[in-house]
Amino acid sequence: MNVALALLWKDLLCEWRSRDRLVAMIVFSILVVVVFQFAWPAAPKEQTEALAPGVLWVIYLFAALLGLGRTFTLELENDALTALALAPGTRGFIFLGKAAASFVLIAAVQAMTAFVFALFFRLDWLDAAGGLALVVALADVAIVSVGTLFSAMSARSRFREVLLPVLLIPSLIPVLASAVRATAATLGGEALTLAALQPLVVIAGIYAILGFLLFDPVLDE
Amino acid sequence: MTTRATMGSDAKPGAALPGAVALLGWILALLAPIYAWTVWKAPLDDVQGVMQKILYVHPPLAYGAYLGFVVTAIAGGLFLWRGRERDDLLAIAAAEVGTIFCTLMLVTGPIWARGAWGPGNWWVWDARLTLTLLLWFVYLAYLLLRSFTEGDERAARFASIYGIVGVVLIPLNYWIIDLVGGRAQHPENIERGSLGPGMGLPFVVGNLTLFFAFAYLLLLRWHTAIEEAGRVNGEEPKDAA
Repeated sequence: MNVALALLWKDLLCEWRSRDRLVAMIVFSILVVVVFQFAWPAAPKEQTEALAPGVLWVIYLFAALLGLGRTFTLELENDALTALALAPGTRGFIFLGKAAASFVLIAAVQAMTAFVFALFFRLDWLDAAGGLALVVALADVAIVSVGTLFSAMSARSRFREVLLPVLLIPSLIPVLASAVRATAATLGGEALTLAALQPLVVIAGIYAILGFLLFDPVLDE
Repeated sequence: MTTRATMGSDAKPGAALPGAVALLGWILALLAPIYAWTVWKAPLDDVQGVMQKILYVHPPLAYGAYLGFVVTAIAGGLFLWRGRERDDLLAIAAAEVGTIFCTLMLVTGPIWARGAWGPGNWWVWDARLTLTLLLWFVYLAYLLLRSFTEGDERAARFASIYGIVGVVLIPLNYWIIDLVGGRAQHPENIERGSLGPGMGLPFVVGNLTLFFAFAYLLLLRWHTAIEEAGRVNGEEPKDAA
């Protein structure tokens, strides 16, 4: 567990000092919001509200892909990944540390994006902020779980920028489908029921277990 | 392919494999004409006409596609556990044959849909169709991962992991897509007695033939891969059956 905490701290500290991934993801997300402003049909407010959850999650998905693609780039320098693999203890905890750091980073970018999105499209999301945060947090657990696992694989492959989305998107379809549904319910003013969150809880649980267990052979060399 | 040696040279062709390939080949050669004959002789459907005969091809292809994925995942799991190259070669073979079956299923489905549901209706976002399309993408991603990863041992390890995640995705995706409201436009699975008179035999023969076609292609591909690996590892190739 100490390995996980140490890695989380290391990753967040590196990110805080360079702010590379954070800045790139935020700029990218806001740019896509702007792109949608131009791609969006001039529609009445109800239609905008109906489209918003789906569009928001498309932006979240692509921003997450951007960030996850660079999860292990720092470790590739000076062969730090080998040193990481030699760390004592279960390698699943290395996975947990890396995934937790990505979670913090992605969640920060998503909060920022939601704020800008609501501002630009004149949507009032303040009342639903708590529910939205819960939905996003659950979906993020699923996204960073498979994302960290596949990122560790694609980082050491050719065409890694292309490979990660190809590997990741099919496994994120169930996350996206249930997250959009739960987000639409929350933003529509419905109270979040356990039934609405159940798919996300199940997927997040399965993906986190898979990531924890399957990370060990990824680091074998 | 030079890094293959790092995996050890356990990929020796067993004596049983060429025999099994030959046996399956003969069974398939016997079944194929019977299959063609029964489909030709099967009565025409009153409503759908000749289009209904896709039924004798499409569902059996689906079983092959799913079976391929399950074999890929099991063989991948065995490779991660035992580290034997043979298991990994079986996983690739199953993924390749599965991709072919999945592609053919995705091609035959819309042809039937266009005929049955009317012009323009090539595709609906029904749970089963969506799942199959995603499965096809997972297969492609699996094959891309193999070709983009440097080092055969590493490619085998990564692909095994992806294969296991992929097989978990099948029930998960089906559940979620169904939940989110995929319209169930795809016909239900054939139930006992729901086929018209004279249609049961070609359906059963079709399933049998395509199952043997799957098994034959799988073992043939596996055997070829083992032979190739043996050659790369510097062993004398043994004669096939």
